[in-house]
Amino acid sequence: MTARPSLVSCQGHYAGSVSRFTAYAIDLAVSTGVFSLALAAISSGVEVVTRHNVSWNRSGAVGAVIFVGWQFVYFAYSWAVGGRTFGMAVLGLRVVRADGTSLEARQGIIRALVFPLSFLLCGLGFLGILVQREHRALHDLIAGTAVIYAWDARAARLRFLARQAELAASHSLPGGKPGI
Amino acid sequence: MCGLGKEWPSSAASDFGDRPRRDTDTVNPRDRLLPVGRRNPVEALAQQVTERVVDLLVGALDVNQLAARVDLNAVLARVDIDAVLKKTDLNVLLDQVDVNAVLARVDLKPVLDRVDVNDLVSRIDMDALVEKTDLGAVIARSSGGVATEALDATRGQVVGLDQFVDRWVQRLLRRGHPAPSAPPALLPAQAVTLAPGTAIPAQAEL
Repeated sequence: MTARPSLVSCQGHYAGSVSRFTAYAIDLAVSTGVFSLALAAISSGVEVVTRHNVSWNRSGAVGAVIFVGWQFVYFAYSWAVGGRTFGMAVLGLRVVRADGTSLEARQGIIRALVFPLSFLLCGLGFLGILVQREHRALHDLIAGTAVIYAWDARAARLRFLARQAELAASHSLPGGKPGI
Repeated sequence: MCGLGKEWPSSAASDFGDRPRRDTDTVNPRDRLLPVGRRNPVEALAQQVTERVVDLLVGALDVNQLAARVDLNAVLARVDIDAVLKKTDLNVLLDQVDVNAVLARVDLKPVLDRVDVNDLVSRIDMDALVEKTDLGAVIARSSGGVATEALDATRGQVVGLDQFVDRWVQRLLRRGHPAPSAPPALLPAQAVTLAPGTAIPAQAEL
């Protein structure tokens, strides 16, 4: 890691497109992985009990409905309870109301309900993240929400400096043992 | 010996009676007991008048009023403090001061209530503090490990990319007015406000 001289705290700023798409990609991977694991576990359980081989096909109607339902639960629950999904937590993002106050559970659920609308028309709903002044997508505008950076870059900067100071101290000591 | 064989004046001689004269009889002890007036009545009168006048004057004086009329600033302006301090041995003075007793009498709570701790903390250069003291090692040990550091780095890179993309979009759209950087409720809480269009260098800032 290179030395980074200046300090910028982006906490509270509107999150940009790369962060949000990366967070969504992580969420999609995690939710799909959990869904697949859950299906595999259920299949194994059914097979042990009934001695019949159960196969799930996600492209089928039933499988697709279950998958969409699971996706809705994953996002709605995450936004309603904590204002963030797993991917957003990794990237340090949070969903808030348009004025910046904490998200209500109702708004989290609404956001999850209208979220698929942004996929319509070849994903034009997401274009707002790029061109809208507050980086709000279609589902954000409908639900009255916004996504912000919720991580403290200042604390991260301190951790970075602390690590550098510790490394410098360990090099300065004869035994290479860091001291306080 | 002096006075031996001399004749005393008649008044003095009558005081001693008929007893034989001694060496100490050369000094008349009654001279000290005699009132001044017997030697100089005018002087005694002047002294009595002066004493009476002074008594009356002091009794009539209002010392507080007099002190109020004194211009202390003018008086102090004429005092050469440097010269006074040069003559003062502060070490001796401080040796006599019981600091613990002084501190025991100080009520620190109202003093601390008047201190704006937030303002005080905001003046601290945390970067310099961490770099120049062992505080860095303490933070490094108490805060997260490799995973946290990797997460910080990843977030920093992604934020840099966000700003990079946003800057190009702003250029393409040719927006004249700066976009708000944060929702209204979060604006006052920001430690640092980035100028619109300001990009965090991709490999910097965290």
